[in-house]
Amino acid sequence: MLEARELVLERRGRRLLDGIDLAAPGGRVTAIIGPNGAGKSMLLKVLAGELAPTAGSVRLDGQEMSTISAAALARRRAMVPQSTNLSFPFTVVEVVRLGASVPGFDGIKTRAHEHADQALETVGLGGFAARLYNELSGGEKQRVHIARALCQLDAAHRMDSETAVLMLDEPTSSLDLAHQVRVLDEARRQAGIGRAVLVVIHDLNLAAAWADDIVLLSAGRIHARGKPAEIFDNEILSEAYGCAIEVNRTPPAGVPYMLPHLLAAAQRNGEAS
Amino acid sequence: MQDMTSPIARTTPQRRERIGYQLIFASVLLLVAAVLVSLSFGATGITLGALGRVLHAYVYGATDSAGVTEQLVLLGIRLPRTILGAFVGAALAVSGAMMQGLFRNPLADPGIIGVSSGATLAAVITIAFGKTFAAPWMAAFGVYALPFAAFLGGFLTTTLLVLIAGRRGQLMVGTLLLAGIAIGAMAGALTGLIAYASDDRELRDLTLWSLGSLSGASWPKVIAILPFVAVIAIMLPRVVRALNGFLLGEAEAFHLGIDVERMKWLIVVVTAACVGAAVAVAGLVGFVGIVVPHFIRLIAGPDHRIVLPCSALLGGALLLFADVIARLAVKPAELPLGIVMAAIGAPVFLHLVLRRGVGGLE
Amino acid sequence: MGNVVISHEGPCPPHCVRQIPDPATPIDRRRGARELKIEIGSKERVLFKHRPIATLCVAGMLALVSSATVALAQAPVEASRIISIGGDITEILYAIGADKRIVAIDTTSQFPPGALKEKKSVGYMRALSTEGVLSINADLIIASDRAGPPEVVNALKSTSVRYIEIADDFSASSIAGKTRQIAQAVGLDAAGNSLAARIERDFDKLAELRKQIKKPMRVLFVLSTANGRVTVGGSQSSADAILKLAGAENAAAAVSGYKPISDEALVEIKPDAVVTMQRTASGSHAADQLASMRGLSASPAVLLKRIIEMDGLYLIGFGPRAPAAALDLMRWLYPDLPITRTGLHQ
Repeated sequence: MLEARELVLERRGRRLLDGIDLAAPGGRVTAIIGPNGAGKSMLLKVLAGELAPTAGSVRLDGQEMSTISAAALARRRAMVPQSTNLSFPFTVVEVVRLGASVPGFDGIKTRAHEHADQALETVGLGGFAARLYNELSGGEKQRVHIARALCQLDAAHRMDSETAVLMLDEPTSSLDLAHQVRVLDEARRQAGIGRAVLVVIHDLNLAAAWADDIVLLSAGRIHARGKPAEIFDNEILSEAYGCAIEVNRTPPAGVPYMLPHLLAAAQRNGEAS
Repeated sequence: MQDMTSPIARTTPQRRERIGYQLIFASVLLLVAAVLVSLSFGATGITLGALGRVLHAYVYGATDSAGVTEQLVLLGIRLPRTILGAFVGAALAVSGAMMQGLFRNPLADPGIIGVSSGATLAAVITIAFGKTFAAPWMAAFGVYALPFAAFLGGFLTTTLLVLIAGRRGQLMVGTLLLAGIAIGAMAGALTGLIAYASDDRELRDLTLWSLGSLSGASWPKVIAILPFVAVIAIMLPRVVRALNGFLLGEAEAFHLGIDVERMKWLIVVVTAACVGAAVAVAGLVGFVGIVVPHFIRLIAGPDHRIVLPCSALLGGALLLFADVIARLAVKPAELPLGIVMAAIGAPVFLHLVLRRGVGGLE
Repeated sequence: MGNVVISHEGPCPPHCVRQIPDPATPIDRRRGARELKIEIGSKERVLFKHRPIATLCVAGMLALVSSATVALAQAPVEASRIISIGGDITEILYAIGADKRIVAIDTTSQFPPGALKEKKSVGYMRALSTEGVLSINADLIIASDRAGPPEVVNALKSTSVRYIEIADDFSASSIAGKTRQIAQAVGLDAAGNSLAARIERDFDKLAELRKQIKKPMRVLFVLSTANGRVTVGGSQSSADAILKLAGAENAAAAVSGYKPISDEALVEIKPDAVVTMQRTASGSHAADQLASMRGLSASPAVLLKRIIEMDGLYLIGFGPRAPAAALDLMRWLYPDLPITRTGLHQ
């Protein structure tokens, strides 16, 4: 379980995060949503241990984050950043294998290679192992990093009491529809094997369809928190995003979906007629 | 972006790994060859064939004056020179590779970002003021005074660079290069000021020193650099994984379990040790730090498990070959090493870049 | 022989005095007559003459000494393969007749002019190579105490090859001293003594002449005018020493060593005369160039056309020719002094 309590983050006198309480238990996909500049990525960085909070605490399985060494943390938490460029010609498989190079892993190389190959298959990059990372498209690069994170969690040794956390920062932003589904299905599968999955995501429809819990941030504060069915509400969303959003639900399961651009189009048509 | 037919794109991961190990093996052979050549050739025409006699004379005492000369040339002149040459080449190539890894820029080099200038300034101060206000320093460190001063100069410059370019936990490459050029210029100006105040003889010495040479190689110098060799040998395996992680970015390196700040400092210290010791022993020898790691990356990719050991081996070999040419070209006089290095290295490098592309660099 | 005047390219400018290079070959010079000529405007004067008789005497004594050396059973084996490191040392070795035994010299040994062609070069004296020097297989190394790098010098001293270090400074007394030291090292004490005695006599004569100078001239020594930047010889330079020997006051004594100075500083200096290095390459004369420099244009030196070009090594090399060089300069600066036509040797 990854928990945050009374989290405050200040940079150059500006309060970027304020009073954040949050819990991401194993076995669940938690989506962090919110408008631009709400502090989603900052929150993820603090939760990953990359940034130290100005006040408040982050705990992983009850242990204060700042007391865990980088190496020990890497065995229990993998993070996929938004985008990276490499200055040197790494191949795809070399990047993925870096995930299995964390100290404390078993040193068996063939195992690391198996994990890497498997992770590449998982993200749909089976034939890409020998390609140069820098020659890939944006979406392919994103998937390489997802594979690297998966490899990191798969290769690491953990005790049963330790929760593995997978953090994804907008993993679907450059993906086509098919790969969006593929990556989020994998996120669900990770939750299915007991890992805590945290996703920062912009696409509300994807969040509604794949997340177990939603955290809605607005201006550095938690605007709302709960199940998708509770959060995806016309009033809550419209207030958080500052524009009219109408939530619909698909008939059988009642999954919420929203098409604000259709609403805007309908309004324009109404004015025209 | 590079075209898809680049040699690296065509290699399979297994093949690339095999190439890496083959390159290490080839580098070892090349270094051994360079050591043998360096011991075999010199102005006197004494070859390694005399080694048996020399060792016999060393154990049982020399019998004639020819034997004494042979012993002096092989054991007193060429052997320390060869050891120092191999070390200087290795140190320069490794420090180049580390700088490039740390700054994620294939053009980073202790020379370009001013670290060598800092080490030079410290060494020049030691040379010029060794009898005046730096005298206590000389007295305190003895034979270690110059390497240690050069090391400190390199370390302070590197630290300054990291402080300037590394605000808010992110090393900014652009800031780094510009700050490096500025610091290098400042150190160069101070060196120039000392040169201005020096007499003609010191001035000529400084010029020669800036062209690099191994002609002052001696056993005390070998002993003086031993602590640095030890530090580098112990630290190097510890920074390999961190450097690989850094290639993805500092945040990613942290996510992979690398203690980023500690590693950055470690790399900075090891680089400063490499540059400081190399500058102290051989003056300024450029070129090795950029070319050797780049050559290795072209062949075996950027994995530092291959790049660092190969840089050490090939850097040493390259410097020894260049030094042999420096010794023989105008014998009995000697060419400055820096000139030879640039003359043989630059065309080869250019050819390599033109033929094989820049290896996936953007 | 030795009386042939070799003319320079182009006419000598009227305000310029130029030394005519000694045409004698280095080896012949010892035995033959030698004279030093200078050109003043279109006239030419002989400054001093090296008398063959004196040389004959020296040669006779030399022969005596060498036979005596052979006679002495315990005398050290005479060095037959000498390395000379330092321009002044090479010049002295040639002057005392040890040139045949020199096998290698350094690149500062520019006089006699043919020396670097007929001997091997061990490179610049501050950038020697241990193995390079050893490969000469010499039995004697005579080197200036400026030779380097120190590690190489230490290594060379530790070998079985005899290594003699010659202190190098710009004082008048040191030249005679090092001449004797070098001559002793190669077993030519008599030749060395006679040369040293001559040098000492010459310096005494110079000192005498200096006493007769009523008002010393303020003279500027210009090492180079590269890129329009004038590099002058300040205090503690070899130029300063030779100016003093010639009875002149160094106009640039405010700076130390050879330093570039600004046009404005030149204006301030206002030298009475300027001494500059002779250009070896053909083309514009350094004197012409100097006369056109802004900083000097108002100086007495340019207005009175007192600019002289002299050979660099001759003037500031501080070898055995130093007194002659000082005398040349003195004679030019103070034409009224009673310096005889034949110079110091009469």
